[in-house]
Amino acid sequence: SSSSKRGVVEQSHPLEHSWTFWFDNPSAKSKQATWGSSMRPIYTFASVEQFWGLYNNIHHPSKLAVGADFHCFKYKIEPKWEDPVCANGGKWTVTFPRGKSDTCWLYTLLALIGEQFEYGDEICGAVVSVRGRQEKVALWTKNAANETAQISIGKQWKELLDYNDTIGFIFHDDAKKHDRAAKNRYTI
Amino acid sequence: DHEKDGSGNMAKKYSRDFLLKFAEQCTDLPQGFEIASDISEALMTANVNAFHLVDRDSY
Repeated sequence: SSSSKRGVVEQSHPLEHSWTFWFDNPSAKSKQATWGSSMRPIYTFASVEQFWGLYNNIHHPSKLAVGADFHCFKYKIEPKWEDPVCANGGKWTVTFPRGKSDTCWLYTLLALIGEQFEYGDEICGAVVSVRGRQEKVALWTKNAANETAQISIGKQWKELLDYNDTIGFIFHDDAKKHDRAAKNRYTI
Repeated sequence: DHEKDGSGNMAKKYSRDFLLKFAEQCTDLPQGFEIASDISEALMTANVNAFHLVDRDSY
């Protein structure tokens, strides 16, 4: 049993920020009308060891059910447009065929918790959304109008992921007004 | 893999390669971790024992 080892692992690598995993359970969605009402914080971690302890015991995107949203956001920032820190923000999105986003998701998480972004203060968190035909990973940022910061983050993210397709940045404000018809404000 | 920023404070930056070294060492759920049983089914891989489960919907 692994329980004999519990408590022996040293918490020796603190992170710059604490981060919270949130899960939106697809099976609960059909019962609840309001978007986000089934979203719950799962775990807040502050060290490298805690991160892996959880990550190693949860499904990666390819094994999550269709409809699932799994978020990793800085502690105290809720993964919602309505959160005051996110309200004026936006997101970069990368898209993968179903079952192909696991590596991207992990590398995104590692870049976040390892503070690899030059404009790391601008970042709210990341979310992977599992849908019928595809998996989307989005990086949420704070000040959508700060083009310099968004372009820097987008470029660095593509490099980290070795992602070669064009990606787009959508303002939450536009998404609120136009839903799926919202246009990219920046593309790289 | 630690970097000092200009002010001399430790900026806790970790490269991907550095972080990946810990992946195989940390296989147990963190101490104190608890999860509602309905979410556990959809999210956890396996073997989340009763120690970690809480039943949020019990009366």
